[in-house]
Amino acid sequence: MRQAGTYSAILWGGLSGRRGGPHCLPLARIKKIMKKSGDDVKMISREAPIVFSKACELFIEELTQRSWMVTMQGKRRTLLKEDVASAVIATDIFDFLVNLVANNSCNSMDNPDQEINIRSKLI
Amino acid sequence: MEDEQDRLLPIANVGRIMKQILPPTAKISKEAKQTMQECATEFISFVTGEASDKCHKENRKTVNGDDICWALSSLGFDNYSEAIIRYLHKYREAERERANQNKATASTQEKDEEEFNFKGTQVQQLQTESTPTPSEFRILEKGNSSSLKKRY
Repeated sequence: MRQAGTYSAILWGGLSGRRGGPHCLPLARIKKIMKKSGDDVKMISREAPIVFSKACELFIEELTQRSWMVTMQGKRRTLLKEDVASAVIATDIFDFLVNLVANNSCNSMDNPDQEINIRSKLI
Repeated sequence: MEDEQDRLLPIANVGRIMKQILPPTAKISKEAKQTMQECATEFISFVTGEASDKCHKENRKTVNGDDICWALSSLGFDNYSEAIIRYLHKYREAERERANQNKATASTQEKDEEEFNFKGTQVQQLQTESTPTPSEFRILEKGNSSSLKKRY
């Protein structure tokens, strides 16, 4: 893992103000998640987690903004997980998350039958 | 048994990114942060899977930055892809410079301070061609409602 040096501090200065290194998200954790994503993910270049650090930041920002629009429509000032779920459902490129947010809402409702119903609608 | 939290991105980091893009008076429920944590983690898995498939088809063993960029574009995240290509380009430049610096003591730092504004919560910033003043690292304004009008 690259060490942060003087030069790096200048390069990544725009990201400084975050504690714990130049990147928003821990590279080791990103790498771990990448490896777990599939059996055939064997080797990962040094820059791949760095790219993801940026990509995830953009992803979180976009989903947060879209969720916030739902919050505002409800005339609230607290962003809730239901707002995140609504934003996911309303956005095509977030289709891969539909199952995930459906599961989340089912868990809170504590109703296994409901989970089955939602899953069958998604297929 | 593995700690559940180890398989996800850290909630503190995720929460910080969320907070920075929202107005200062906005509140975020803990469950919303947890949901975002899971979504972001799934995002990594999803994109990595696509990138890894491509490597496999091309008989390559190592997933690299370009593969991630390609996968992002392929999965509909075109707007990220463009920003990241620039980010990656600058990173590689910096790495080359760093390698050179290790050999020589010439101070090449001034000319590379331009355009290094990576606090790119607004994608269009990264897409502009304008050159910020050297060593200017902008503190992005929070609570700027125009930030919600990103073009996708």
